[in-house]
Amino acid sequence: MEATKELLYKMADDALIIGHRNSEWTGIGPMLEEDLAFSSMAQDKIGHAFALYNILHTAFGEADPDTLAFKRSEKDFRSAQFLELPIGEYDFSLIRHFLFDHAEHLRYDSLAQSTFQPLAQLAKKVKGEIKYHVMHADTFLKQLGKGSEESHARLQSAINYSWPYALGVFEPGAHEAELISTGTFIGEEALKDLWLARVTPIIEAAGFSVPATTQEQVVYGGRKGFHSEHLASLLAEMTEVTNIDIDAEW
Amino acid sequence: MYGNAYISPEDAKRMNESTDDAENLEIFEARITRGEKIEPGDWMPAEYRKQLIRMIEQHAHSEIVGALPEGTWITRAPNFRRKLALIAKVQDEIGHGQLLYSAAETLGKTREQMLADLISGKSKYSNVFNYPALTWADVAVIGFLVDGAAIVNQVINQKGSYGPYCRALERICYEESFHLKQGHDNFVYLATGSPKQRAMLQEAVNRWYRPLLHFFGPSDRDSQHSEKLMKWKIKLASNDDMRNQFLDQYIPKIWELGLTLPDPELKRNDNGIWEFGDPDWAEFKRVISGDGPCNAERLEVRRYAEEAGRWVRTALMNKDERYVVPLA
Amino acid sequence: MAELNSLDPRVLRLDLKKIEDGDVATNTHLITYEVFHQEKRGKQAVHAGVVHASTPDMALVMAKETFGRRGKTAAIWVVKTSEIYTLASEDEDMFETTPEKLHREPGFYKVRDRIEAYQKRTAVPQQ
Repeated sequence: MEATKELLYKMADDALIIGHRNSEWTGIGPMLEEDLAFSSMAQDKIGHAFALYNILHTAFGEADPDTLAFKRSEKDFRSAQFLELPIGEYDFSLIRHFLFDHAEHLRYDSLAQSTFQPLAQLAKKVKGEIKYHVMHADTFLKQLGKGSEESHARLQSAINYSWPYALGVFEPGAHEAELISTGTFIGEEALKDLWLARVTPIIEAAGFSVPATTQEQVVYGGRKGFHSEHLASLLAEMTEVTNIDIDAEW
Repeated sequence: MYGNAYISPEDAKRMNESTDDAENLEIFEARITRGEKIEPGDWMPAEYRKQLIRMIEQHAHSEIVGALPEGTWITRAPNFRRKLALIAKVQDEIGHGQLLYSAAETLGKTREQMLADLISGKSKYSNVFNYPALTWADVAVIGFLVDGAAIVNQVINQKGSYGPYCRALERICYEESFHLKQGHDNFVYLATGSPKQRAMLQEAVNRWYRPLLHFFGPSDRDSQHSEKLMKWKIKLASNDDMRNQFLDQYIPKIWELGLTLPDPELKRNDNGIWEFGDPDWAEFKRVISGDGPCNAERLEVRRYAEEAGRWVRTALMNKDERYVVPLA
Repeated sequence: MAELNSLDPRVLRLDLKKIEDGDVATNTHLITYEVFHQEKRGKQAVHAGVVHASTPDMALVMAKETFGRRGKTAAIWVVKTSEIYTLASEDEDMFETTPEKLHREPGFYKVRDRIEAYQKRTAVPQQ
């Protein structure tokens, strides 16, 4: 039970934080059509967060989704540090979206076989949404890879910067063995291998390279509640209105 | 959402003097009189094309600039429901801009040229977006009342003569009904909520009352009308008529919640005409000419979006492809 | 550009100073694709509008959220605007008399009166 809860919390927090971050692009992206696409994907992610918190609420008696998202302290968040970083420029946001959404795609794909039914059902339901997220990311990566010298250089440096953070998404939790033995989830290590096998050829085919990274450089911590300075300010901003009158119905 | 296209008196005067090929003009005008739409490939008077570009472009600018005041609160919406609604709503404004720029492109001006003219200040957008959204309650007021005003305008414009614009408006009006409903929902929650929430809302209503009166443009008494704009179905209703329709639809919905408006002279006469105190048209003129609280920021953010996104568009361009005007 | 004291935390995070003042570029617009939307299997695909894009792949990815973010969608088609052909608007008169060609319309064929007259004349028992 603790094992499944841990898995749900980190997935929900990941989805909320990246959805929140990417919603910032609504209205300031590089072209109008791309604003629409980024915004829709952000809404999908926030929807996934809601669904996952709702499983915690209904299956495990945790608080309702609004309370879990808007009234928990920073230390209780289990999201990866990668996702809390500010949106930066479009190059970083695109690469983060590419790297994270491939991980999400494979994670949900494997969870469609989970023995924990609510998660298996959710995984089947959102399959099409995540398929689009990945298609969107791949299309832009491919186009910008062969675009101009500037676009190539920008994306390569975004890949280099993001890589240790992206590997941090697969930080193992305290209950990996139990999740694997109960057939709830394949575990972070196996997921990371699938992910490397998936993204590496796409990155290379687009004309980029995968940076060499040592285990020490990988940015862990998020899964244990250790975050960069960005999460606290993100949450303070996100809950600013709620906190005007914490008991009111908004 | 969007505000009224502001057509300057000088333009209106010039239009009445313009001449064009008489035979084509007759066919063109007969078509409009019969209630048929004009399509992009048709002959049209140069002045018709010019005024339409101007109007649709302003409408499109109003959508993407209009996304900014509410966007101020996108990262601070107070729960899942409001967060999703606000993101989707602001997203729709961008979508409306996309549709409208495309409609204007059919008349021969590129989206980038329009955006460049927005940023250089050469073309305008609705004045109402030069005011700030100071609190979360401003989001409710914008979503409910500014969108409400925009819908009055857009439903009327849908009956205009230019096919691509009408088609864009059809989709826009459908989406606007979601905007209005979510705005009203937010508005009612604040109005019927805690004393703090209600006070926030009352203050926001007070702040937006005057910009809302300005929304439809100067009074008919003070604005020069072009009969030609009406005859060509570019403009379909007078500023005062639209304003009155808006007040008639929305003031009762504010009053039914026990909220007040900062205008002791505001009342509905027996003939259905609303009376209101002096809305300070001097302020309207000052803000529209660039001296409003947020004009500089709105343009600066748009400039950033265009320039910061330029490397992306440059990299995507295929030099072997030739741009042609879309059919839309 | 003077320091902006924006109310929008997103705007405060943008590196506005990086962007110079002056006219913005007008030479980077992409070509357009016309988008057709099929709501349900078995229905016609209907023209929905245009998207700016550089390739068909990208046009499809853009069209999905521009024209398919509400309601049902069974399929989306895109085609480069420059590859659509149409008759000139002044040739619309070629279609002017078509609605008069009633011999192509079902309503043109009415024999009920004739049947009834025949029945009367020959005493075929009426149903």
